[in-house]
Amino acid sequence: MTINYKLLDLLRRGRTPHENHLIDGLARGAVSRRDFLRYGSVLGLSAPLLGGVTSALGFGLTPSLARAGTPGGTLRYGQIVPAAAINPVTIADGGGVTMMSQFGETLVLSAPDLSAQPLLAESWAPNADGTVWTFKLRQNVKFHDGTPMTADDVVATFDRLSDPELGSNALSVFSGMLSKGNTKKVDDYTVEFHLDAANGNFPYAVSTDNYNAIITPAEFPEDFEATMIGTGPMKMEKYTPKVGASFVRNTDYWGAQALPDRVEVVFYDDYQPQILALQGGEIDIIQQLPVLQAVGLLSDPSVNIISIPSSAHSQVHMRTDMAPFQDKRVRQAVALTLDRPKIVAGLMRGKAQLGNDSPFISAYPSTDPSVPQRQQDLAQAKQLMEAAGVGAGFQTTLTTEKYLEIPDYAVIIQNAVKEIGIDLQLNIMDQGAYYGDAVPGKSPWLDSSLGITDYGHRGVPNVFLQAPLMSTGTWNSAHFNNKDYDALVTSFVAALDLEAQQATAGQIQRLLLDETPLLQTYFYDFLTVTKVGLGGVVSTAMGHLMLGQASL
Amino acid sequence: MISRFILRRIVLALLTLWLLSVLIFAGGHLLPGNVGRAMLGPFADPTAVEVLNHQMGTDRPVLVQYGDWIAGFVTGDMGESYAYRSPVAPFLFTALVNSAKLAVVAFVMVVPLGILGGVVAALYRGRVADRALSIVGLSATVVPEFVSGIVLILIFGVWLRWFPISATWKDDAGPFTQLYHLILPAIPLVLILFGYIARMARAGMIEALEADYTRTAVLKGLSYPQVIWRHVLRNALLPTISVIATQTIYLIGGLVVIEILFHYQGIGSLIYTAAKKKDFPMLQAGVMAIGALFALTTLLADLLYARLNPRIRFGGRE
Repeated sequence: MTINYKLLDLLRRGRTPHENHLIDGLARGAVSRRDFLRYGSVLGLSAPLLGGVTSALGFGLTPSLARAGTPGGTLRYGQIVPAAAINPVTIADGGGVTMMSQFGETLVLSAPDLSAQPLLAESWAPNADGTVWTFKLRQNVKFHDGTPMTADDVVATFDRLSDPELGSNALSVFSGMLSKGNTKKVDDYTVEFHLDAANGNFPYAVSTDNYNAIITPAEFPEDFEATMIGTGPMKMEKYTPKVGASFVRNTDYWGAQALPDRVEVVFYDDYQPQILALQGGEIDIIQQLPVLQAVGLLSDPSVNIISIPSSAHSQVHMRTDMAPFQDKRVRQAVALTLDRPKIVAGLMRGKAQLGNDSPFISAYPSTDPSVPQRQQDLAQAKQLMEAAGVGAGFQTTLTTEKYLEIPDYAVIIQNAVKEIGIDLQLNIMDQGAYYGDAVPGKSPWLDSSLGITDYGHRGVPNVFLQAPLMSTGTWNSAHFNNKDYDALVTSFVAALDLEAQQATAGQIQRLLLDETPLLQTYFYDFLTVTKVGLGGVVSTAMGHLMLGQASL
Repeated sequence: MISRFILRRIVLALLTLWLLSVLIFAGGHLLPGNVGRAMLGPFADPTAVEVLNHQMGTDRPVLVQYGDWIAGFVTGDMGESYAYRSPVAPFLFTALVNSAKLAVVAFVMVVPLGILGGVVAALYRGRVADRALSIVGLSATVVPEFVSGIVLILIFGVWLRWFPISATWKDDAGPFTQLYHLILPAIPLVLILFGYIARMARAGMIEALEADYTRTAVLKGLSYPQVIWRHVLRNALLPTISVIATQTIYLIGGLVVIEILFHYQGIGSLIYTAAKKKDFPMLQAGVMAIGALFALTTLLADLLYARLNPRIRFGGRE
């Protein structure tokens, strides 16, 4: 690796200390090229600059995802019917997000490789302590009604999303992070976000990672569903609730013109009819299939499966504040009974990544890869049970929901813990009943001593680290209360510097392995299915399906 | 006399419907979890849930909500869907029309087939044709519709591609295209009902064939087809017709599986998804519509019977 110091010096000029620290990390070998590209994108370094730095340091250029397709034609895709009216402020389900990704765009794209890519924002940068983030907007963007998109629209969008009075679904992301009135216009194409607390990963909160963050006009239409005004490469032609929709090319689009003339959306209540429709040629794409449903298609030569690693997982919690799991040795013993590679290969048909009982998947740049992977060890598990004084085992109940592969996973756990004398009764409930009112005392999810809960994908681990694990967390079903942990997470969230994030992450990972309030044994892949020969389909683990550059 | 009988029947039907509305309302509200939570999901911010519940009025006492809803309902206002934030009536109307179309297609296919099968089986009682029809009919009845549905889709939709897989047609489709889309989903229903109807028809036929009036008709010298057509069939099919009537409700309201499998927007899947999402106005309207249909068909059946059998009409006062 030869380093071009002259070029490097040139590129370093005018960079902030955080940015230069990242560049130094790459030069020293402390930061990998992959992590440099991902985290550099979060800090707002532009793609040409990232490419320039990596090539100055002797790394190859960023691979281009661009693919030449043929324009024209109609693409038809199937998706699960949106659960509610298409309103960017209140949408709370994957089906709604898929619909919004047809016409709307966010400031930042959380790409399938988890890097932050510019979309409606051209660039962004934090202040020295990460409490103020400044975004430069793209200048030639027009809404579907022809009005130009400016800072006013961006400010209005985020004021709506952070307004407690409007019941916005984005409050779960923004509370404690961004308050109403703190999104400020600097000029027509510059916006500042003044955060409630320092945050090193803020760009993800205004990216596709946030269900609700598409930019909508300052004058929000009363009946949004009737127009679906956004800035995307396709614009709404027709929408019939519960049935489907169609979109046509937006010829005013700021970027490359959409390849398809039209996109037709067909809503389904279930996955099986979508598989049949794809096989029968009635649709070209299935937006998402859970692994269990896709088994029959995995070896079908007439379809192409796009498999995106995600941080979505089925989280097992053990209550740390009451019997029988208040002793961490019992929790560790349970964790040691599970044969993770076998679960990934069997239950998930290989379409999942191994988990190490913390939310840090290997794809996050901040993850410390030196933390050893937990493996099955029955002898040690039995010893731990003895040491905890429950060598003879005990009986308890595993409470969970009937959702995707979770009931099967529950049986696997039931069989595994038999080895150390734990007799598990399964209580598998309807999803609504399991979550209940989602407040302690009225929710089996938050009250059960042992349970399994589904968690969707997040592009950064922050939410997973806070809500289910911090002593103040609202989804803390393990009732985990650890001051050291709280302090570590607070500093992790605030850290702007990738090396600092990695160092803290390593401490968090080790602490969680030791305490084991949660089991995260696998993180499943997000599968999008297309018919063979269809290229250019971009989907995200959040549920977006972007067909602007797709063609047959 | 007749008018008093009808009046009593109507009052009873209304009472049943009212009870149904109370049950469905209470049932829905007894389930754990509140509406805003169900709409926004378990991970939503509590403030957002509160605001949404307030906007929809679901934070009010259950009795107030019920009073509000029933007051609207009796004046023809079915309320607004929680999920879609728009009036329920158009959704319900489309779903009912769709369900009726599928039911009619299935009906037109199964009734003649079932009766014909029963008649043939009765005429050849104990012989190969009878046995074959019984076995085929019974086996078809016990195959669940999601099994026969998938097999049909795989053979005729995916493999041969003779029929569309989705029962939903394009907006501009004419009646023949609509019919074409409905044939495949109607077949599993035909399979389920064929054995039932054929068995009833067979039993009725056998009874009628053995009746005295049939012997008289034969003895007075009528030709065999004339005996069958004019004397046997007319008497044999009365019980069959009542069976068919009770199946109408199933054909319209009970097709959740078929509707989901064949991707069809009927009343069954409307009620199912509304229940899943706690969309109470939609759920109540759907259940009440089915209830009203049920009340109406039973009323018609009662009237028909009363017409045929005066003993019912006079309430056993003879």
